[in-house]
Amino acid sequence: MNLELTEEQKLIQDTARTFAKAELEPVAAQLDQGGDRAPMLANLKKLAELGFMGLNVKEQYGGSEAGVIAFSVAITEIARACASTAVTLSVNNMVCEVIQAVGNEDQKHAYIPKICSGEFAAAGFGLTETGAGSDPSGMCTQAVKDGDEYVLNGSKIFITSAPYAGVFVVWAVTDKEASKGKGISCFLIEAGTPGLVIGKEEHKMGQHASATNELIFDNCRVPAGAMMGRLNDGFRIAVAELTGGRIGIGSLGLGVGLAAMDYATKYATERTQFGQRISSFQALQWMMADGYTELEAARLLLMNAAFRKESGKSFAKEASMAKLFATEAANCACYKAMQMLWGYGYTQDFPVERYTRDARITSIYEGTSEIQRLIISREILRNFA
Amino acid sequence: MKILVCIKQVPDLESRFKPDAAGVWFSDTDLAFRMNEYDEYAVEQAVRLREQLGDSAELTVLSIGPDRVVEAVKKALAMGCDRAVHVQDTAVHLKDPWQIASIIAAYAGDQGFDLIFTGMQSQDRGSAQVGVSLAEQLGVACATTLVGFEYADGAITAKRELEGGIKGVVKLRTPVLVTCQLGLNTPRYPTLPNIMKAKRKEITAIPVAELLKEEARTTATSFHHPAKKGSGLILEGDVGDLVEKVIGILKEKTSVLR
Ligand SMILES: Cc1cc2nc3c(=O)[nH]c(=O)nc-3n(C[C@H](O)[C@H](O)[C@H](O)COP(=O)(O)OP(=O)(O)OC[C@H]3O[C@@H](n4cnc5c(N)ncnc54)[C@H](O)[C@@H]3O)c2cc1C
Repeated sequence: MNLELTEEQKLIQDTARTFAKAELEPVAAQLDQGGDRAPMLANLKKLAELGFMGLNVKEQYGGSEAGVIAFSVAITEIARACASTAVTLSVNNMVCEVIQAVGNEDQKHAYIPKICSGEFAAAGFGLTETGAGSDPSGMCTQAVKDGDEYVLNGSKIFITSAPYAGVFVVWAVTDKEASKGKGISCFLIEAGTPGLVIGKEEHKMGQHASATNELIFDNCRVPAGAMMGRLNDGFRIAVAELTGGRIGIGSLGLGVGLAAMDYATKYATERTQFGQRISSFQALQWMMADGYTELEAARLLLMNAAFRKESGKSFAKEASMAKLFATEAANCACYKAMQMLWGYGYTQDFPVERYTRDARITSIYEGTSEIQRLIISREILRNFA
Repeated sequence: MKILVCIKQVPDLESRFKPDAAGVWFSDTDLAFRMNEYDEYAVEQAVRLREQLGDSAELTVLSIGPDRVVEAVKKALAMGCDRAVHVQDTAVHLKDPWQIASIIAAYAGDQGFDLIFTGMQSQDRGSAQVGVSLAEQLGVACATTLVGFEYADGAITAKRELEGGIKGVVKLRTPVLVTCQLGLNTPRYPTLPNIMKAKRKEITAIPVAELLKEEARTTATSFHHPAKKGSGLILEGDVGDLVEKVIGILKEKTSVLR
């Protein structure tokens, strides 16, 4: 048993932390105000050049080959400074990993290096539809074979990075008659393909710099070679690849939670009321104790899931446990942090308000907390059957 | 051309320091360590020179200390050094700057380095003596506190920081040693692929006993927090009386009034 990061993992964590402090933190509040997201795109480019877009991707495709634990600690450090940047990074890494896992050599060479190098500002993961969220097997977007091409019609919703993504992994129904989840295939579609329309952007509660848009397919024609993996095997791919993404979102939640607790704790050691530092009140000490204990437990769950994935063991249950616990812990930490700042915490002059809004979505996207519980219990019951 | 850059691993200065058991240095339990900030500039400048010269140059990074210093060494390798020397020493903190310089000199002596980069000083000890002592022991020229560096045709042009915002420019022929000031350049972030590739670079480990020949010339005798200042004295009462009291105190406790 060894709970220490390796020297390489520590250096990656240190690079992420130093970069986040120097480049991301100073612009995070301004990005949250909306409007120009150019500073985030510029930072994403720098992060790509440093190798953060393909942490768990092979060197031959332009990745860093740094592994899953490094991925987790890097996302956490980046999320401590800017959750919007962190989610973009997490999704980009997930898309690289999907292509690496199921793409053919041509597809891997065509797209992964462009995401890793930052030539593409981002990459999109197009699964969710208005009628198919937690249950993506209920999707309606169709891909119909027409000669050497597929024609896609339908729409996706809530697609992260859509306006600036260079390529999308898109799931569509290829066999309407098949039983649930057995007639879906996966496609790689480049931005700018005729018939691929970026729809309206959602006005969200948080993570403002990260765009979330509708994606519309209006007779969108792609060559048959755009299909990734086997025909009608797409649903299995989606389920498998989301599992890895959960480690990313859990790590993101952890970063936001830590940022909130760190800010509030420092504040408590400086602010005085009733003639004493508010950190001397037991009420606040208990908030700190609980907040940090939960975040530490979250970190260990994430490290365990990442370690299992990295060592080639099964990790679906562990990734769901980590995502569930870390994102809920992050929300609790933000709640406590705001309580520790009282009135000031509720204003936009202090970052805890932003952390609170940014953390909220982490227990929703890439599988809600309820869906994580469903997965965990299913895995548990399997062993009792 | 053979280039050497010497780096030290130091604790994060935001750490809470406490004396070690012997009371002569700080305890390193629970401290986070990183590369001495001055040395990051030294490594960056050395790597830039290495890039300027291409494969005709070889850049070695050297660090003395316990096993944990390998992390700093790997960062330097990831930034672009070719190979590393780790002088293994679990008691490096008890050695004075002269001894540290002598250990490096013993290693570098027959290696024929044309250029040696060090930081101007370390963030923890701050003696600023290792670089100059090393130059002295090797018998090479030395320029300190660099804020500018250029190399061409076997000579360096060094811009040095002097007092009061004044800069001085000196030219030296190799072999030469320079000590680097903050702001000399902008140290790069090591890229992730380079961090991973650094694993494959050679790190030669040498036990310090093989290189240490000199006795210490200075010894740290105590490491402690500054004594707590007594709380201030608050005088109250009539202005006339207060003046008398203040004069009394000044006469008694200071040399301001006699
Ligand atoms: C900012 C943002 C970014 C996103 N980015 C992407 C992206 O890049 N790509 C993408 O494909 N999607 C993305 N999503 C979609 C996201 O993954 C979905 O919103 C999420 O999976 C939940 O789906 P839903 O919103 O349709 O909720 P629903 O599925 O309608 O769920 C509503 C509620 O019902 C509960 N529920 C549903 N089924 C069950 C069940 N069987 N048992 C118990 N409870 C259940 C849920 O937990 C939840 O509480 C994003 C969403 C947001 C908000």
